[in-house]
Amino acid sequence: MAISLNKGGNVNLSKEAPNLENVLVGLGWDARATDGQDFDLDASLFMVKDDGKVPDDSHFIFYNQKTSPDGSVEHTGDNLTGEGEGDDETIHVTLSKVPATIQRLVVVVTIHDAEARRQNFGQVSNAFVRIVNRDNNQEVVRFDLSEDYSTETAMIFGEIYRHSGDWKFKAVGQGYAGGLKALAQQHGVNVG
Amino acid sequence: MDLTRGQRAKITDLIANGEHFRLGVAIQAPGLSIDVACFGLDAAGKLADERYMTFFNQPTSPCGGVRLSAPAGAAASGPSAAHAGGPSGQPGDQTCFDIDLGKLPPSIERLTITAAIDGTGAMSNIGQGHVRFLDGATERGRFAFSGADFAAERALMLLEVYRKGGVWRTCAIGQGFNGGLAALVEHFGGTVAEPTPAAAPPQSPTLQGTTTRPPTSQASPPPASQSPPSQPKTPPLNLSKITLEKKGNRVSLEKPGHAEHGEILINLSWRPAASAAVKRGLFGGKRASQIDLDLGCLIELQTGEKGAIQALGNNFGDLLNPPYIALDADDRSGNSSEGENLRINGQHWDAIRRVLIYAFIYEGAPNWAEADARISLKTPGQPEIEVRLDSQSNHQPMCAIALLENDAGAVRITKLVDYYRGHRDVDQAHHWGLRWTSGSKD
Repeated sequence: MAISLNKGGNVNLSKEAPNLENVLVGLGWDARATDGQDFDLDASLFMVKDDGKVPDDSHFIFYNQKTSPDGSVEHTGDNLTGEGEGDDETIHVTLSKVPATIQRLVVVVTIHDAEARRQNFGQVSNAFVRIVNRDNNQEVVRFDLSEDYSTETAMIFGEIYRHSGDWKFKAVGQGYAGGLKALAQQHGVNVG
Repeated sequence: MDLTRGQRAKITDLIANGEHFRLGVAIQAPGLSIDVACFGLDAAGKLADERYMTFFNQPTSPCGGVRLSAPAGAAASGPSAAHAGGPSGQPGDQTCFDIDLGKLPPSIERLTITAAIDGTGAMSNIGQGHVRFLDGATERGRFAFSGADFAAERALMLLEVYRKGGVWRTCAIGQGFNGGLAALVEHFGGTVAEPTPAAAPPQSPTLQGTTTRPPTSQASPPPASQSPPSQPKTPPLNLSKITLEKKGNRVSLEKPGHAEHGEILINLSWRPAASAAVKRGLFGGKRASQIDLDLGCLIELQTGEKGAIQALGNNFGDLLNPPYIALDADDRSGNSSEGENLRINGQHWDAIRRVLIYAFIYEGAPNWAEADARISLKTPGQPEIEVRLDSQSNHQPMCAIALLENDAGAVRITKLVDYYRGHRDVDQAHHWGLRWTSGSKD
């Protein structure tokens, strides 16, 4: 039985799922039910050091850069395989491969071209993030973001982080204005 | 607090008492006819109980938690004016809903304020619009939008008030459907039926399935999903008729955007005399008398010219020239399904100051109860309005039924249903000032 977190809550992945190694980060939201311009939501992941910054731009995993240099994080993009039912986008993480200097994996979702389309997360319904153990396909933890967002165009859904030798997951649900660019800059990525 | 599209807030952040407030809606939409409604939805976002669709034909939810109310400051401009009673003086709203969240049953989790275009047009054509929260007369929050926010949508969910984890919140939605009201209703789990094609008179669209369309156009129902004929769970809503129940009740027909009213058809009908005659004959009384009701009106133009239109005296009026009102041929039996018709040329409503609709019993003993008469008032693109000649006074042959007044271009209709001895008394009661002599139709 998966744990359901509220905003701000956290869970010790190493305790909940001993020997957790191959992780699927599943992200989902409901497609727009109304007419008008489509929502284009993108998942990204920042691999950051203890100062909250990426070591370099190659540790920003997104649609144009889908794999980290060490191979620990892989953006699998749209869920074409059927794995992880209900996920709109998935990211694979191999925990043992994550470099020791990386303290946190920050999972974000942004709305593409949100300002021009005048869209925001308040218009997105039933967003969630979940952590699945790929070895047995068990959902370990889940965070439903509903109603925790509003006019933001970028959201930190959650983060996987090191804590006293364990891996933990925190339900963040923190929104930002400015889309992916602002979030990337905040995490030390050089964006043109 | 200004709410932007997608923004959410707790009701208590807007309304200190957290429970009762008013939602005021306005949409500038020259040339468009827009219906505003409030849908009370269940946890799944469905209209499980169609009585929770609050609009001008169904102005109050069963629990009283949602109540259509007249925008204050425009007391006579809404069909619900009879319900006006709240604080007055909120200019700028066209439709208001008085909300009392404490009265809503637990099954209602969501109130969605919607706007739908009746007829042609798209939401990109609208000007400025808003939904605002009012605590008493004080504005506490406003979601402003405009046509630039939309494209081909013809129906919108503007704003919702919803329960989440036991806390009431609001979200400015501002999204909608190109498919108009039908798509909106479908989104809420219902279907809109086409009016039965061959059905007799041009009545209201019938309601099938779980929900309904608001009532303005009888002419062009949305090109919507057709539902197979099925028995509605509850009796269908009367979608396109407003009954003025009590003396003094009034409604206003606003100009339909593009500046002119259509033809206003006023029909007087009454129970055919046959049934009454047979009954009386069986009981061996006097010979059954035909009841002949005559429809007529007093008219006053903006120029100050006054007159009367009625068959008696052969004043049938003129539709194309002043007074722009005409009476159809006389029906002396009541058997004709058409009854008697009076037509007002809506294109020239601006020339008219007021019209008093009356009926009188020309032959036969005054027996209003037996006649069970009523007038209906039909205007293209507007709901049908019905006034019954109730509270009968059987010894007086004349009934002043309704007063139509030009209220800044709108047609304001007030139920009178007062009985008089004759024309002169009606005239005096309403200060018309005509001179009356007796006449005959033949």
